[in-house]
Amino acid sequence: MAEIRLAKLAHSYGNGTNALKPLDMTWRDGGTYALLGPSGCGKSTMLNIISGLLKPSEGRVLFDGQDVTDKDTGARNIAQVFQVPVIYRSMTVGENLAFPLVCRRVPTPRIKARVEAIAERLGLSRHLNSRAVALTADQKQLISLGRGLVREDVSAVLLDEPLTVIDPQMKFELRKILKDINREFRLTMVLVTHDQNEALTFADTVVVMNHGEVIQAGTPQELFERPATTHVGTFIGSPAMNFLPAVHEGDRVLVPGAGLSRTAPADLPTTDLTLAFRPEHAVAGGPLAGTVTRIWFEGADQVLALSVGDASLRIRAVAGAETVGAIVRFDVPQDCLRLYHQGRLVA
Amino acid sequence: MKTLYLALKYLAIALWSAFVVFPFLWALTTSFKSANGVTGGATWIPWVQYEPSLQGWQSLFGGVGGINVVKPFYNSLVVTLSASVISITLGTLAAYALSRFTFRFLWMRNSDITFFFISQRIMPPIVLAIPFFLMLRSLGLLDSLPGLILVYVALLMPIAVWVMVDFFNGVPRGLDEMAWMDGCNPITTFWRVILPNALPGLVVAGMFCIIFGWNDFFFAFTLTFTETQLLPVAIVSLNSSVTPWWSLSAAALVSIAPLVVLAFVVERFLSKGGLAGAVR
Repeated sequence: MAEIRLAKLAHSYGNGTNALKPLDMTWRDGGTYALLGPSGCGKSTMLNIISGLLKPSEGRVLFDGQDVTDKDTGARNIAQVFQVPVIYRSMTVGENLAFPLVCRRVPTPRIKARVEAIAERLGLSRHLNSRAVALTADQKQLISLGRGLVREDVSAVLLDEPLTVIDPQMKFELRKILKDINREFRLTMVLVTHDQNEALTFADTVVVMNHGEVIQAGTPQELFERPATTHVGTFIGSPAMNFLPAVHEGDRVLVPGAGLSRTAPADLPTTDLTLAFRPEHAVAGGPLAGTVTRIWFEGADQVLALSVGDASLRIRAVAGAETVGAIVRFDVPQDCLRLYHQGRLVA
Repeated sequence: MKTLYLALKYLAIALWSAFVVFPFLWALTTSFKSANGVTGGATWIPWVQYEPSLQGWQSLFGGVGGINVVKPFYNSLVVTLSASVISITLGTLAAYALSRFTFRFLWMRNSDITFFFISQRIMPPIVLAIPFFLMLRSLGLLDSLPGLILVYVALLMPIAVWVMVDFFNGVPRGLDEMAWMDGCNPITTFWRVILPNALPGLVVAGMFCIIFGWNDFFFAFTLTFTETQLLPVAIVSLNSSVTPWWSLSAAALVSIAPLVVLAFVVERFLSKGGLAGAVR
């Protein structure tokens, strides 16, 4: 278990493009982190740099203050679970789990005890003597995870989209196991994913990335309540945040024709402003009105697409009798209205 | 319909089996015939159609006008097995390196180097005969087992590299990365993780090497005189102005026996699913 610090870390793949722009970040010991972003945003590159599979073009990687940038993968004592289950096909489940300890020349009785304990924890006990190839995809991912956990001194467990190939009903179960393991073993866990649900339900801290850059790192609550950029607001939350072009008039910022406004902070530029709010923050009844253009159901709620003046937006409402074409009245509390200038959060 | 399909299937298998087994049967019966037996049309049933004779077999084991096949058989076995083991060992290591690490030599990259290995088998063997002869002569290895082994390694290694590069490329790179993470170095990664996954490739490469090595006549003939004789050369020396079909048939059976055994062993391995699905 270790605190992971990335100091001025940057990477380019030699073709001139920056896979990872310079960043500084510290991941505390025992925390759960999720790297969230679209494909090609640099999250797997970051993970591979931490595990040592990739050497960064610039910057350092520190585990508990120790520089490990030049150490190879084995010496870093990292466990990684890949997107596609990677198992040693020629070995049994038990041999797979024992392998990292065999490589580290741990005495046989100790290996046996550790393998049995981890297999028991992951529910693999009755498969110990089966050939690993014969197991299902989710069980194979558990073997991958188990090979990390079997080492008592593992620095961190890196999970590179480990749930992508898992059946939807097993995903929930596996995510729960990961979370339990994190609590039980107090392991630093880093999950790479492009699924916001997975990231928000798994991690204490979610790191949102785009184009090789960390855009925002914060708790799921912070990301939801105060997205640092319009990109994060769009990426996190379903349906996405409403962004409405706004103008600065006197001491207020308002959306022309929609009636939506808030007080302007001091020194606010006059152009390129956007007012935003979450569909979930709209409350029924109030001074604002819009025409329903579309309705779709999401469990107990329904999402209404509204046309308000020239703008179109979405609000979440309790499933009711609204119909397309009806006028709906709503309001957005002032403390839920966010203001962006050139796509970045101002207030 | 199903019965008809089954009947046709068995008919096809029977025809193919006859096609394959017939020459063996021919050689087997001929090996027990004498000069009288091989003339006057095909005969199959001993004592009824022809009088069996051990003359053919006797001529292989020091009989009058024959040879002693034991020494050449042993020589062939030593040369083929040694050359195959060395070729597979070196070829597998080379193939692993070519599959996993990046090499640059002048303008050449990994694929060019792999092709360079394979290209050794493109040119006709006769081109190599004189250089090999001169090389072995300067090393004092002409007409010797080590000399032949050396030449056969040069001939068989391209086959091993060619087969194994393909197999290693089929083993996912994620497996190497996982092994590094689990604490392996490049050598233990190769030995404990990648090689067991490429085992079917080893069997295929081994089979090719043994077949090519065992069957070679050309180099066995041009690089030896009288001291070191391999089986194909010994068999040819049986021939005379009157072709001794009985001796040649017996010799043919002796020479294919090891390959038949090999075929059975490999067949068992392959039918156990050793090859199927070994690489994801």
